[in-house]
Amino acid sequence: MKNLLIWTGGLGLLAATAIDTLAVAGRHAGLPVEGAIEMVQVAVLVAGSLALLCATIARSHAQIHFLIDRLRDPYKDWSKRIALLSLALFLAALLAGSVWIALDLWHSHEESELVGVPWRWMRAVANAALLAGVVIALRQALTRKS
Amino acid sequence: MYANPETGMVGIAALVALLLLGVPIGAALGLIGILGLIVVIGFEPALIKAGVTTVETLTRYELGTLPLFILMAQLFFSANASRDLFDVAAKFLGHRRGGLAYASVAGCAGFGAINGSSLATAATIGMVALPEMRRRGYSDALATGTVAAGGTLGQMIPPSGALIVFGIIAEQSIGKLFTAAIIPGLTQALFYALVIWLLMRVRPDLAPASERATWSERWRALRRVADMLLLIGFVIGGIAVGLFSPSEAAAVGAAGALAIAAWRKRLNRAMLFTAFDETLRTSGMILLVVIGALIFSVFVSVTGLAEAIGDAVTGLGLGPMATLVVVAILLLLLGSVLDGLALMLLTTPILLPVVTATGMSPIWFGIFLVRAMEIGFVHPPLGMNLYVIQGVAKDVSIARVFKGVAPFLASDLVHLFLLILFPALVMWLPGYLGQ
Repeated sequence: MKNLLIWTGGLGLLAATAIDTLAVAGRHAGLPVEGAIEMVQVAVLVAGSLALLCATIARSHAQIHFLIDRLRDPYKDWSKRIALLSLALFLAALLAGSVWIALDLWHSHEESELVGVPWRWMRAVANAALLAGVVIALRQALTRKS
Repeated sequence: MYANPETGMVGIAALVALLLLGVPIGAALGLIGILGLIVVIGFEPALIKAGVTTVETLTRYELGTLPLFILMAQLFFSANASRDLFDVAAKFLGHRRGGLAYASVAGCAGFGAINGSSLATAATIGMVALPEMRRRGYSDALATGTVAAGGTLGQMIPPSGALIVFGIIAEQSIGKLFTAAIIPGLTQALFYALVIWLLMRVRPDLAPASERATWSERWRALRRVADMLLLIGFVIGGIAVGLFSPSEAAAVGAAGALAIAAWRKRLNRAMLFTAFDETLRTSGMILLVVIGALIFSVFVSVTGLAEAIGDAVTGLGLGPMATLVVVAILLLLLGSVLDGLALMLLTTPILLPVVTATGMSPIWFGIFLVRAMEIGFVHPPLGMNLYVIQGVAKDVSIARVFKGVAPFLASDLVHLFLLILFPALVMWLPGYLGQ
């Protein structure tokens, strides 16, 4: 599953790379790529959503270790649980806000101007990643061994 | 009722507590931001703001710059860029007394132009340069101190992850920030070279001279990195002269790095997977921090805290120079307990108005802030580069590493002060190029 996430996110990165490089070459050659920015936005959203998930799975979110590294083991364990629960809570708050907007706008059929990217489905991708992030962070917090 | 600076102060105190408890930086900023907004503007607007910020950030075209530059660095890393860059510098400078120390600084500057991270630059150049310097009888303190300090060039020499994040948080042109960082980055590297030269004059026993490489060996080493150097020059030069935007430059850089890796026959499934994995993890970490920081800065803004601090500082009547010195001292003090990203994200919404009130531009502040952040990477108690280097040279005590970095740290403080005295070091190049 993790491998699939990484390959999918990687393909998003490659797509953004290819679209923007073609757009630059096209612009200088007098053949502009119409809607390149909108297409890059889609690739960046997919890659970014999966990147949030990958960082959560790998527990690689930036932290300050100044104090916790000096704590004794039981306290250190609790501080790690609190950190993971805080992460889950934050992701849940982002998810709640994002779902709220998605529901409000679902029937407005938001689309990008040039290539008609359906934004409601893009929001769904971001929300699915946030939901998965909440579940993973909660699981890490609750199953962490002392 | 609660939209006042006192609420902002309580929020900042709570934020520092959460950060010290080890809550992920992005989550701490975001949670305090959302809770603060709930108190000040209400539950529904606070939650909606969080949702809007999330989707806007994830779809932000400019933020595509960051993962693509990280991908470029990862691809170069897989193509052995760090070894090749150090090797070419060592071939040209290694015969001088302390030559490998100069080469380490040059290697860090070169790798910093590929990579936007201090820690990654210190670790990768350290893995190559430290064994070589120690094998040739360099003092442990000098060897480790040089690489720990040189690693900070990764943040300053464009493309820089920290400058991209600052550009997004402070709504400034990333291209202008990159151009503005070129002279401070180069002068910083020159300062480090000057420190090594002075050390060699005072204590020549710290580093012996090595044998001189022949010109054919030098050209051979240079040819091995020529493709990378050309691509880096094209990417940074292209941004500076307006050939493409920073986001496009990142894509061109990543495409070029893919082509170079393929040319060097290093492009394969396993290498791509590792590059994607590293890129996504680092990008995800930074994205969370950016989302949290954007929400937090809205909270700071609605409490009026930034204006209140600005008014208080102006009321002191210190004048621009003294105000900037006070800001520098504050950043250095905070930098000893907060890591670089936290320092930037906590202080930008508060200090930016104070600094701009002195007549300095936000672009100058971005460079100044990153320079102050870098110093935090090499001074205790945090000094993350020191620990990274100690991880590479496990038998060298952290006290020895700090002893080695101390002269470079002194030069950093002088350099930071020069940025205050001569803002043109930052602002001249973007102005000259008409940005």
